[in-house]
Amino acid sequence: MSVDLAVKLGSLKLRNPIATASGTFGYGLEFASFVNLKSLGAISVKGLSLRPCLGNPPPRICETDAGMLNAIGLQNVGVEAFLSEKLPELHRLGATVIANVWGDTEEDYEAVITRLGDDPRLAAIELNVSCPNVVKGGMVFGNDPQALALLVKRVRACTRLPLIVKLSPNAGDVVATAAAAVEAGADILSMINTIVGLSIDLEKREPKIGFTTGGLSGPAIRPIALRMVWEVRRALPGVPIFGMGGIETVENVLEFLIAGADAIQVGTANFRDPTVSGRLVRDLEKWCDRNGVEKVTELTATLKTRPRPEHRYA
Amino acid sequence: MAVNESLRVIKTVRYDALHYSVFLQAGRIGEKAQPGHFAMIQTGEGSRPFLRRAFSIADVNSVSGVPCIEFVVKVVGLGTRLLGQFSEGAQVPVLGPLGVPFPLKDLSRHDRVALVAGGIGLAPLLFLAHRLSEKHIQADLFYGGRNEVDILKRPEFERLLGAPRCRYATDDGSLGRKGRVTDLLEKSIESGVVYRRVYACGPVPMFKTLSALLDAARLEGIFALESEMACGFGVCLGCVAPTIDGRFATVCSEGPCLPHTVIDWEKM
Repeated sequence: MSVDLAVKLGSLKLRNPIATASGTFGYGLEFASFVNLKSLGAISVKGLSLRPCLGNPPPRICETDAGMLNAIGLQNVGVEAFLSEKLPELHRLGATVIANVWGDTEEDYEAVITRLGDDPRLAAIELNVSCPNVVKGGMVFGNDPQALALLVKRVRACTRLPLIVKLSPNAGDVVATAAAAVEAGADILSMINTIVGLSIDLEKREPKIGFTTGGLSGPAIRPIALRMVWEVRRALPGVPIFGMGGIETVENVLEFLIAGADAIQVGTANFRDPTVSGRLVRDLEKWCDRNGVEKVTELTATLKTRPRPEHRYA
Repeated sequence: MAVNESLRVIKTVRYDALHYSVFLQAGRIGEKAQPGHFAMIQTGEGSRPFLRRAFSIADVNSVSGVPCIEFVVKVVGLGTRLLGQFSEGAQVPVLGPLGVPFPLKDLSRHDRVALVAGGIGLAPLLFLAHRLSEKHIQADLFYGGRNEVDILKRPEFERLLGAPRCRYATDDGSLGRKGRVTDLLEKSIESGVVYRRVYACGPVPMFKTLSALLDAARLEGIFALESEMACGFGVCLGCVAPTIDGRFATVCSEGPCLPHTVIDWEKM
């Protein structure tokens, strides 16, 4: 039996629902010897800014139980170097490329997206409004539905490519920010970015991360991410979702699809095992085959929940 | 190009309560490894510990005819403890060889170099000592630790480089000179020895002192840096060190072996 792994997120068509998450897959090329980039659903590249960005002073990462904290500070080569040095090779290798974009101000976002324009080598643009590791921009937009709506409206006018908005789990109400993004013109939501955390060096009585706080990723955040995907899917059933947060195995992929994600992004697991994304594509196909699933879309948003009981008193 | 493969544990040799060598079947990683390269090793099952650990390749040799990669390890936490507990025959996921190795090719028999090791920083220098010995390049070893127990692989270094060329310093004076390892090098430079290059691996305070010494003596230094890493191949950008030109260099992919003049030691 051949399994149909293709998925559609609005006008974004992917050969399968396994993508890689921004910030964990470099510019894709670093993984070319470990994974056939063409075999992946998509690659979301490291967040691009108008000018190259140096990032935060070290220490930038620390390990935690079932995860890690990072405060890289969006170090990247800048949009020009991406277009001239990275994108041609990614295109040659047949990768489906999502350009992840960030800025300090609304004008910065607009400028990067205008520069990327409607480049036919790009499949979509992903707006990073949820990075917790920069003082300006980033999460400042993602945690405020009004600010987010204004930003999305402005950048929407700069490109005809599918626009993905990557949501912050650090906002009070993820459904409110999701709804604001969609209302303002987002085609697709991706969720979740990292959760703000803190880890302490006891000897020095200092934070283990130079930026003090960092973004928590890895299996530790998976149940939170799943819950948020499920909530947003229920509230906005017609809006396509990239789900992510601690995905390492095919079982994790299936959980996200069932909770309401149309596709997923593998993140921190790429650090632990650079071959994991390619393996997940093969494992998903095998699982579907063994379980009589002809089209992977049969699984999407199929969570069966029981009615919650009213409070009962003895 | 790095290889991701599962390697068999051939044997583990304990030196004391804290130090051991683990020998893994060489695989393709061993075929490609050069002094200064490192590997990312998955030391546990599941999420404990969550990330792989970076280890310098300490030698490529053979155990009872089986080609092996040797790692010399000091137990500092969970990952280093678990790596020493694998039984013979266990399969361990390894990614390597990674990073930029020590520059070596430009040396000739007329050159004399210095190796400066601090504590467990001996690991990449042991591999280097093997290669230098094969190429008949004269090398002086300056090796420091807190005490005698910290000084590993003495017979091997002395066999490779010649015992008179191996000098030691300990904080408590239990082996060699009491004091800093950099003082040994300084004395040697003052006595008129000219080193074509100084290779070093050790803790940051040692690097800082050594860097100032090399600047004063106008000597070339190549330091093998250590840093906490998530990926090991230039992607997570977590392991960076501040550079003199105001940027951040990835220790894993721009290093770990870097000219000492590249790093901004005041910011380390």
